Amino acid sequence: MSEVLTRDETGGAVRPVRRRRLRSPAPRAAAGGVCAVVLLALPFYVDRFWLEAGLFAMAAAIGAIGLNLLTGATGQLSMGHAFFLAVGAYGYCVFAADGSDGPVGLGLPAWLAAVLAVAVSGIAGGLFSPIAGRLRGAYLGIATLALIFIGQHVLFNARDLTGGFNGRDVPPLSLFGLTFDDRELVVADVPFGSAEKLWYVGLLLLLGGALFARGVLRGRPGRAMNAIRDHRIAAGVIGVPVARYRAGVFVLSSMYAGLAGVLLALVFQRTVPDYFGITLSLDYLAMIVIGGLGSVAGAVAGAAFVSLLPQLLTRYSDALPLVSEPGMGGIAPGEAARYLYGAAVVAVVLFLPGGLVRLAARLRVKPRPGARVTPRPGAVEGEER
Amino acid sequence: MRTTHTARLAAGALAALLVLAGCSSKAKDGGGDKGSAGGVKTGEGISGKTISLGVLTDMSGVYATLGKSVTQAQQLYVKQTNAAGGVCGYKLALTVRDHGYDPQKAVSGYTELAPKVLGFTQFIGSPFVAAVKQRIDGRDKALVLPQAWSATLLGSPYIRPIGSTYDIETINAIDFLMKEKGLKKGDSIGHVYFEGDYGENALTGSRYMAKQAGLKVVEQKIKPTDNDMTGQVVALKKAGVKAVVISAGPRQAASLVGVAAALKFGVPVIGNNSAFAPQLLATAAAPALEANYYVASPSLPIGADTPKAKKLVADYKAAYPKDSLDNGVVAGWTAASAFGEALKKACAAKDLTREGVDKALLTVDAFDPGFGTTQDFSDPKAASSKESVILRPDKNAVGGMKVVREAEASSVAQGYTPGA
Amino acid sequence: MSTFAELLLNGLSLGSVYALVALGFVVIFRATEVVNFAHASLLLAGGYVTATLHDDIGFWPALLAGVAGAALVGAAVEFLVMRRYRGSDQSVLAIVTIGVDILLTTELTRRIGTDVLALGDPWGDAVLTVGPVSIAHTRIAAFVTASLLITVFLLAFRFTSWGVAMRAAAESPETAALMGVRLGRVSLGAWAVAGGLAAVAALFLTVFPTPGLERATSLAALKAFPAAILGGLDSTTGALVGGLLVGVTESLATGYQSDLTFLGRGLGDLAPYVVMVAILLIRPAGLFGTKELARV
Repeated sequence: MSEVLTRDETGGAVRPVRRRRLRSPAPRAAAGGVCAVVLLALPFYVDRFWLEAGLFAMAAAIGAIGLNLLTGATGQLSMGHAFFLAVGAYGYCVFAADGSDGPVGLGLPAWLAAVLAVAVSGIAGGLFSPIAGRLRGAYLGIATLALIFIGQHVLFNARDLTGGFNGRDVPPLSLFGLTFDDRELVVADVPFGSAEKLWYVGLLLLLGGALFARGVLRGRPGRAMNAIRDHRIAAGVIGVPVARYRAGVFVLSSMYAGLAGVLLALVFQRTVPDYFGITLSLDYLAMIVIGGLGSVAGAVAGAAFVSLLPQLLTRYSDALPLVSEPGMGGIAPGEAARYLYGAAVVAVVLFLPGGLVRLAARLRVKPRPGARVTPRPGAVEGEER
Repeated sequence: MRTTHTARLAAGALAALLVLAGCSSKAKDGGGDKGSAGGVKTGEGISGKTISLGVLTDMSGVYATLGKSVTQAQQLYVKQTNAAGGVCGYKLALTVRDHGYDPQKAVSGYTELAPKVLGFTQFIGSPFVAAVKQRIDGRDKALVLPQAWSATLLGSPYIRPIGSTYDIETINAIDFLMKEKGLKKGDSIGHVYFEGDYGENALTGSRYMAKQAGLKVVEQKIKPTDNDMTGQVVALKKAGVKAVVISAGPRQAASLVGVAAALKFGVPVIGNNSAFAPQLLATAAAPALEANYYVASPSLPIGADTPKAKKLVADYKAAYPKDSLDNGVVAGWTAASAFGEALKKACAAKDLTREGVDKALLTVDAFDPGFGTTQDFSDPKAASSKESVILRPDKNAVGGMKVVREAEASSVAQGYTPGA
Repeated sequence: MSTFAELLLNGLSLGSVYALVALGFVVIFRATEVVNFAHASLLLAGGYVTATLHDDIGFWPALLAGVAGAALVGAAVEFLVMRRYRGSDQSVLAIVTIGVDILLTTELTRRIGTDVLALGDPWGDAVLTVGPVSIAHTRIAAFVTASLLITVFLLAFRFTSWGVAMRAAAESPETAALMGVRLGRVSLGAWAVAGGLAAVAALFLTVFPTPGLERATSLAALKAFPAAILGGLDSTTGALVGGLLVGVTESLATGYQSDLTFLGRGLGDLAPYVVMVAILLIRPAGLFGTKELARV
C-alpha cells in the first residue's frame, strides 16, 4: 500500500494514469493473501520468542502510525510519544486490575479497561494540546520532552497508581470468555499460550489502526494535515481550521500511542517505568524516518525494522562476523545493534529520502520497462513548499 | 467484483491455514520428561551430557561494570568446573544474552532462553526479574539467581537472591557507625538514596534501624543521572547529621565524599556494596575516599586473605588480564558456585529436572563459597545471610578494598524480618 | 542563609556550564535551523580526548586538543552528514542528528568502557571559603571561563565578519547566499564552534565534585535542552540566561527537597522542565527568542 502515491494524488491530474499502471488488482491481492496466510499461520509454527518479537513490532507499529500522523503528516515534532504510551499501559492496569495486588485498581472488565485507557491517552493529549498549539517546530519537540520527564517522575513516585520502580502486574485481557493469559489452550494440537493468543489481537488492532489512519490520510483531513505541514499560514488562509486540526491530530496520535501502550503492557505482562523513557521516544522518531514520513506503510516498516533488528542481532550474535559473544571483548551484539541502527537512520535520510516504503515503491516499479514513471515524489514535495 | 475476490482469497487462506496447522512442529507430541540417562532424571535444559544455563546480563547499559565482572567470573567458573570433569559427568554451558538494561530486550532474552536452559545463574535488573516473575513462578519454575539484593525479590521458591539484602546491609552499616564511629541515640543521620528499589529497600533498613536505635533519618533521594552531590551535602550539613549512608552508585559516593571533605564536613560516610568501584581510586576523589568512606558488603572483598579468594584473583587475572577486579567478580563467582552446589545435590538425588534443582537448593543450608559468609537457602522468604562485612577503600589492596570489620550480623538485623 | 548562598553560587556556576552547551545549540540552530540532538556526543568526544591525552602531554595542551577534537568531530558531522541532505524539512535533519548521536555515543562509550577517567585538571578539590560560604575552585573556574567565552562569543557575533555572515544566514539564507555569504562555510563554522564549546563544558562537568568522565556524562547535555529553549532557540543571550536559570533551579530544588516532599522526592531533574513549560506557556518563543513573522 503506498501512501506515497496518495501524497502525489493531491497533484490531481496524474492520478488515474498511475492507478492503472501500478495497480493491477490480481497480483497485489494475491500477494496480500499470501501475507495474510503467513501472518495467520505463524503462531502455529514459530517459537514464543519470535511471536513476542512480532508483538513488540506490532505495538511499535501502532504507536508509530500515530506518531507519523502527527510528525510525518502534520509536521508537529513530538518527543513525548513515550509518555502517551505510558498513559495507555498504566491506564489499562488501573482500570482492569482488581486492586488485590497492591496498587489501585478499579476492577473493570478488561476490554472496557482497554477502551478507557485509549480514551484517557487521548484526553491526556487533549490536555497538552493547548500548550502544543502555541508552539512550533523545535520548540514543540523540546516542550514535549518535558512530558517524558514529568511522566517518569510520576511513574516512579505515584506508587498507589503505578507500583513505583518495579512496576505493576498487567491483568490479562479477556474477551468473550477467552482469557489471553498463559493458561494453555490447544488449537489443532498446538498449545496456545499468551503470545499465540495475543498475536491475533495484535494483528486485528494493527489492521484496524492502519486502515483508519489510511482513511484519515487519504481523505480531506489528510490533505488538510499535509497543508498545515507544508505551509501553516497558507493552510489557514485557504480555510483549514489550523488550530482545531492540530489539536485533533495531537489527540488522535496520543490515542494511537495509548493503544500501543495497552498492547505492549499485555505482551510484557508487567509495566515498568524504565521503559517509557526518552530512548523510547527517540526510537519512535527513528521508526517513522526509516520507514517513511507521513505514510502508514512507512510507519509499519520502520517499526518492524527498529524493533526486530536488535533482537535478530542478539539472537544470532554467535554466527555473525565481527560481533563477539558477550564477555569476550570486541563489539558486543548490543553495541552492533546500536551502530546499525544509528547508521540506518543517517543512511536512510541521506540516500533514501522517503524511507523504506520509497525503496519498496521503486522496486515495484522497476520490473516493468515501459511504464512511465512519474517524477519522484520528493521533488513534488519540495515544490509544494 | 473485488469483494468476491477478497472473500475467495480469505476462504482459501483459512482452509490452507487449517491444513497446514496439522503438521506444525510445535504440535504437542505427548513427550514430557526426556527420561533418564544413567538413572538421573533430566528435563529441560539438558541435552546429551550438557547442562545449559542462562545469563541475562547488562554489558552495554548502565550496569555494564557489574555485568561484565559477574559474567566473566561465571564464565571462569564454568570453564574450571568443566575442566575438572563437570557436575557428575555433565558439562556446563552458559548462554549469555546482553540486554543493555532495556526492558524489551530483557524480556525477549528471557523468552528466548527460558525453554532452553535449566536455570539462570545471573539476571541483572530487578524490574526485569519482576516483569517475568509471573512466568517463572507460574510456568517455567526454573531457578533464577538475580544479581540484585533487594528484599522485594524474596518470597519466590525459584528466584533466590544471594547474600544479605540491602535493608539488612544498611542496618549492619548503621550498627557499625554506632559501635565504632561514635553515632549515638538521638543523633541524625543522612541517607542519600537512589530512586528505585535498591535505594528504597536500603531506606527501609535505615528507617527500621533508626526506630530501634532512636536515630533520626534525613532523606535525600537522587537519580542515577545526578553526578554532583553538592546540593545534597549542603542540605545534610544544614540538617546537622552526624553520619551519612549512601545507597547509590560509585560516582555519587565519590562525589558525596569529595564534596563533604572539601566543605570540611567530616562525618563518616558508609555505602552499600554497589556504591563503590575500584576505578574510583584512580580519580581525584581517592584521598577523601580512603580517609572517610566505608562500604558494607555481603561478602569479603575480592582481595580478601582467604585461599579461595587468592586463587580466584590469580585465575581471573590470568583469564582476563586487562579487566579490573571488583566485587562483581565475587558476586558472580558466588552465584555460579551456589548454582553448581545445587546441581551437585540434585544430581546426588538423581533428579536434574528444574524441580529437582529447585528442591536441591532448599537443602543447601550452610554453603560457604569462600568469602567469609555462610549462605543458607532453606527459607525462600528470608535472605540467605544476615551478615555484612565492613570494608574501606585502600589503593594498595587488590580490588581496592580492605576489611575493617569481619562478617557479622548485628542484633537488630537478626531480629529484622524483611517486608515486616 | 548561608545554605541559600551556597546553593545559589553552585547553581550559577553549574548554570554557566549549561549555558556553554546551550550556546552551542543556539549557534547551530541560528546557522542551520537544525536542533542538534548529537550535542551530547560532541561533549563526550571532547571530554574523552582531554582525558586520554592529559597524562602524556599535560593538562592545558590536552584541553586544547579536546576542544580541537570536538570541533573537528562537529565539523565532520556537518560535512559528512548534514550537508548531504537534499530535502528541506528541518525536523528530518533533527532526527538525523539522533542517528549521528547514537553512532558517536556508542563508539565513545565502547572506548570508555567501565572506566571513570580523570581529566587531570589543576584545581583538584580545593575550596574557597568566604565567611560561612564555601565554593569549590572548579566552580569558580567554570563560572569565569564560561562568562569569558560567552562574552567573547557575543562580541565576535556582533563585530567579526564571521558573526555578521552567521547573523545574515539566520535572517534569510537565500538573501545571504545572494550577497555572497558562503552558507556551507557558515554552518561548518557553527558546528565546529558548538563542538569546541561542548568540550569546554565537558571539562567542567567532569571535574570535582564529579569523579570524572564516564559513559553517563553525556546525559548532562539533556539539561541544556530546556536551557536553550526557555531562553529562545535563536538567541545567544537567551542561552546564557536559560543556562543560569536551569542551573539555579536545579540546585535549589535539590537543596530544598526536604521542604518540597509533597511533590515527591528527586525533583532536581524535573524542575528545569517545569520552569521551561511555564515560560513557554507565556512566551512561546522563549524569553529572548524572535517572534515568528509570517510571510505568505
